[in-house]
Amino acid sequence: MAQCSGELFDVPGELSSKAHTFIGLSGLDTLNNATHRAIWDAFTNNRRHDKVSVHYKLFPPEHVFPTAKPKRNTYEWYIPKGILKRNWMNKYLNVVPSVVVIFYDLDWFDPFWNEKKIECASRVQSVRAALEGRTTRIAVVLIQTGPPIPAGDESITAERAATLCTTCELNAKNLFLLPHNDHLHGYTLRLENAFYDLAQSFYNQKVRTVRGHRDHLNKTTHQYLFVRHQFKMGFLNELKHDATAASKHYAQAYSHLLDVRVVDTNTLEVKTVAAYINYKLCRIAFNQNLPRDAIAQFRKHIDLFKNMVGPKEISFEHHAWLSKQFCVFGELFDEAIHHGLPAVQTQHPGIYFHQAAQHSMDRKNACLENCQDINIYPQPDPLDGLEDLEFYGQRPWRPGKLSAEPADAVKEKEAIQALQFKEKSVNHSMIIISLLGSAISQAKTYRCPRTRRQLVVQMAEEYYHAKDFKKALTLLSHMLWEFRGEQWSLLMTNVLLKALECVYHSPSVTEFVTLAIEAQSSTVLMQQEEKAVLLENIFRLLKGEPPIVPENIQVGANYGKVWRASFAASNESKPITVEMTNATSFLETKTSFGHSSFQEDKSTSLKIWIRNKCSQKVSICRSTVTVSSPTNSTELQLVPAIETVPYTLEPHTIGEFGCSFSAKQEDVGKEFTISSVNLCLGQKLDESILLRFSAQNNPQTFTNPTELVQFGFNAKELRQFQDQEQLLSCSVCPREAHLSAKIENEGPALLGEWFPVQLHLENNENGPISSVVIKISLMQPNGKELDQATHLCLNPMAEVISPPPIMIELDKLDVNSSCSYTFHLKSLRVGQKSLVIDITYILNESTKCERIENLDIEIVKPFEAVAKFFTQKFDQVTKAYSQEPFVVLLELKCLSPWSLAIEDTNLELVQPLQNVGKTCQSQLQNEVLNTGEVGTEAYCVLAEKESEQPVSVGMYTIRWRRKNTPKEMVTSSSITLPALLKVDPAPLLVEMELPAHGWVGSPMAASVNICNRTSQLLEVELNLQASDAFMFAGQKQLKLRLVPETVHTLCYNLYPLLSGLVALPQLKLSPADSSSELRANQLAELLERSLPTHIYVMVTRSLCGYVVTSNFFPFSASCEGQI
Amino acid sequence: MAVCVAVIGKDNAPKYVSCLNPNMELDFHYKVHNALDVVEEKMSANGKASGDIRELYLGLLNSTDDHKIFGYVTNTKIKFVIVTESANTSLRDNEVRMMFRRLHSVYADVVCNPFYNPSEPISSKAFNETVRNMMAGNL
Repeated sequence: MAQCSGELFDVPGELSSKAHTFIGLSGLDTLNNATHRAIWDAFTNNRRHDKVSVHYKLFPPEHVFPTAKPKRNTYEWYIPKGILKRNWMNKYLNVVPSVVVIFYDLDWFDPFWNEKKIECASRVQSVRAALEGRTTRIAVVLIQTGPPIPAGDESITAERAATLCTTCELNAKNLFLLPHNDHLHGYTLRLENAFYDLAQSFYNQKVRTVRGHRDHLNKTTHQYLFVRHQFKMGFLNELKHDATAASKHYAQAYSHLLDVRVVDTNTLEVKTVAAYINYKLCRIAFNQNLPRDAIAQFRKHIDLFKNMVGPKEISFEHHAWLSKQFCVFGELFDEAIHHGLPAVQTQHPGIYFHQAAQHSMDRKNACLENCQDINIYPQPDPLDGLEDLEFYGQRPWRPGKLSAEPADAVKEKEAIQALQFKEKSVNHSMIIISLLGSAISQAKTYRCPRTRRQLVVQMAEEYYHAKDFKKALTLLSHMLWEFRGEQWSLLMTNVLLKALECVYHSPSVTEFVTLAIEAQSSTVLMQQEEKAVLLENIFRLLKGEPPIVPENIQVGANYGKVWRASFAASNESKPITVEMTNATSFLETKTSFGHSSFQEDKSTSLKIWIRNKCSQKVSICRSTVTVSSPTNSTELQLVPAIETVPYTLEPHTIGEFGCSFSAKQEDVGKEFTISSVNLCLGQKLDESILLRFSAQNNPQTFTNPTELVQFGFNAKELRQFQDQEQLLSCSVCPREAHLSAKIENEGPALLGEWFPVQLHLENNENGPISSVVIKISLMQPNGKELDQATHLCLNPMAEVISPPPIMIELDKLDVNSSCSYTFHLKSLRVGQKSLVIDITYILNESTKCERIENLDIEIVKPFEAVAKFFTQKFDQVTKAYSQEPFVVLLELKCLSPWSLAIEDTNLELVQPLQNVGKTCQSQLQNEVLNTGEVGTEAYCVLAEKESEQPVSVGMYTIRWRRKNTPKEMVTSSSITLPALLKVDPAPLLVEMELPAHGWVGSPMAASVNICNRTSQLLEVELNLQASDAFMFAGQKQLKLRLVPETVHTLCYNLYPLLSGLVALPQLKLSPADSSSELRANQLAELLERSLPTHIYVMVTRSLCGYVVTSNFFPFSASCEGQI
Repeated sequence: MAVCVAVIGKDNAPKYVSCLNPNMELDFHYKVHNALDVVEEKMSANGKASGDIRELYLGLLNSTDDHKIFGYVTNTKIKFVIVTESANTSLRDNEVRMMFRRLHSVYADVVCNPFYNPSEPISSKAFNETVRNMMAGNL
């Protein structure tokens, strides 16, 4: 908040205090009577927060109010001595109440009613007497502690109230009761409203009275009274909380004031009153949420009085008044904002505080102009009595005098001298600085960064004038930092020059050097000569001599002395270091590593380029670069490309410095960063300035406009400089290993086999290597689990196979010698496997080296196995019948690109299947399958019992190896055969025994076994049908009864008649009765798959000497087909 | 008419500042510089509310007892600022607009010059002449 108090033209307290309705309370003995105390507290403490605000004051019963002035009947001969009386506002705020309330303890049924009635009346009378001549309202409150009046007794109370009113000469409306009980607060609220209404009527009457005066006034002599009366009405309206009416009257007062003829003698009074009325107007406007009106009124106010300076000798007074106007308005504005008024960037209190500061500056200048020579305060004090003037804004040496009277010239002169003397002692700078401070904080709030900067610069200037150079310099250097960003050269130069001035006054070697170096920058608008002087001054400083002061700066006599003192202080921190991140300058640097990474046993280059942008030669006696790694930082010295000491950089050229950068072994994996470039400016090292440039954020971004600079006319050097790429960090990688690792394998690997991989190492280093560790591990795909289905080992014959990685260690390997290792990989899943082979070793017993090889291996399936199912007649089937043998045909297809040798195969059957026959040797044993070839073997299998569910056949196991590998490397692969078939029940089993072939003309025996598999008796009809190719003997048609689990055998003797593949006589079975479980088609199917249909019959046996033609054997059913 | 005319680049660096009274140059630099606060505020406000994007005239930026400051922003964020005296009440908003249009077209001429580098301050004779005229009230 601005400091607007304790000064000339302060807003008086009675003006700034909030206008309350003033009500006096009497007859309350708060000290001795607890009931009265409670009532008083209820009135004063429990303030309501609505618009009705009342100011209570407790008057003792014998209080004497000031006597009222006699009423003036005519204004004809009255000449007012001033505009506003100083005591008037205070009178209505704190002295004369609008209502006096007399409290009196009296119950309706008080035993001493009559006595008390009279006492009450006398109290009322005494108060009335004290307020003689005033219209203050009087009210009486009876405090009643007794029980409430019973219903029906109202007549008595009404009568007593009437008599009391008569005795007290009181309007019955002004008599109140206050029962003292629990609801005190509620009663006081209601009383307060009643009092408030009385107060309103009092103020209304007052306003009417004042308005009534108007008719008596004339415009020639009573100008002041017009103002006064309107002001009074405004104020009274404010007391009765009628802001609109108050505002109207104040506005009229203001316009009447403007009609007053202003001369030198009453300028101050008019301005003071104008300020007060304006204050009221603005405050009311803000309170009514009409900020535009407030601002407009204030603008008008300033416009009207801006040029009303008054006597020239005391013009500072006018500036002080103006400054105060702005300041007070700013505070009002700010207060309104605190109460919720929104402000904007272009209209906020800061603007007014700034204006106030500006006027204070004018005031200071006026003071400098007028008060310089005043050294004596006149005696007697012409300003005596300043505090007890009757009117606002009058002069103590001629109070109440009208402008028409001639001034006492001597007294006037002395008084002016006294004012000037007083003004001289005022610390204007502090006022200005505090106003600027307020403005700055407001500018910050309302997003005016640039305005804020200007304000800060003004503040620094004021500090400079107040000779507080240190503070000024601090502010200026902050602003310099901000102005640098936007290239407002003129502003920046201005700030820089001011800062330099400060340094001349308050010596600081570092600050001077920093500023002088910054001044060399091309963006600073200074003459070349001036810049050169500054540069020269820098070197004077280095030699321990104070800088030459430019002519326009006045310095004290002890200039040299204070500078020498500062040298002593700065000597300890030599060399003088200037952080160039904080300055735009005449030098620009760029720095770069040669490579973004280099191997530990090699080195890279490190270069800096320095661009001289000023038009003078620059000597650099040393240049270093700070390179930092995560753990430490080192400083490297660089040598110029063209070596001279000191190195001189011509104007507008680029100098190049370089050195080589190498790393130690422990730095492997670290990243080095160039953090800063340090240049020693000067001829000799001990007389030089260290300029520290940050490598990261070069200030050149400030100075170089980024757009299209390359197209400028004289941009050759700039282009050259810009072309240099910056590479600020560089990582160290391990040296390259000269150990050759050759990996051989016969890929792809086959699923499940131990796949051998050969690793050949050869030492191509220049010395023997030792502690060689080869680590072979599986590369884990990101985010996936370790592959459990892949194994690695060195020796697959070993019993225990440890999980990967596997390690091979080797103590030593001489130069140019080599060694080989084989390791094996086995994967139980197809797909690609990646291996990492990491070889670490130590060269020459000191240098650690590492070589990493990656190996990808594809895993493929070696075989594919297909199972097919056939009946014994080699008809393909999809289901089997219990107890009926069938054939499983296994086809093994070789998918491997390599020829595979089958060692053995094995079909492991699962229940209920079993092999027919005891031993079952693989038919593929010792076969070799080439790519794409198929090996087939057949097994005769029997299902023991039926099964509803499809049964699986079992596991087919193949033991195999690659054809060219030794016998030990056998791999066993198992393939689960696909789920087969249902096994259906077969009630009968029919077999036919028949020789392999027959001869024409020679009989052959055939027998048919019919077996009942069920546990029931089955009856079937058998029918052997005739055939052209055979004659036969045996039962042709038969009804069979098959006992459970028995076999019935039918024997036939067949006599072939034709040769070739001939059809056998067809056997037919049909159920004997319809109730049987057997069905005809089921039996037909059974026969079809069980019995052979054809047989091969040879031509003749004549060669064997048999008579073919007539040889006939009779058929016999019992005959056992002997031939 | 105008007492100060300024052209400010898109990065808020001045390209051209000319004022009638050379003694007040620093003062005007500050004034124009401070006006950029309002320009930036208005530009960000315009960005939000999708008003007429073709309206380049920003209107009155700031007015003090002595001066009024008007602003104008091209589509390429080049800002024009004109300062007039507050006492000059005859100047209408439309006239200020016209002055900006004129300035814009002269500026466009300057930029069209193949030998002009957009990053450099404007040092065109024709441009100077137009601005001088503007300040003399001959437009």
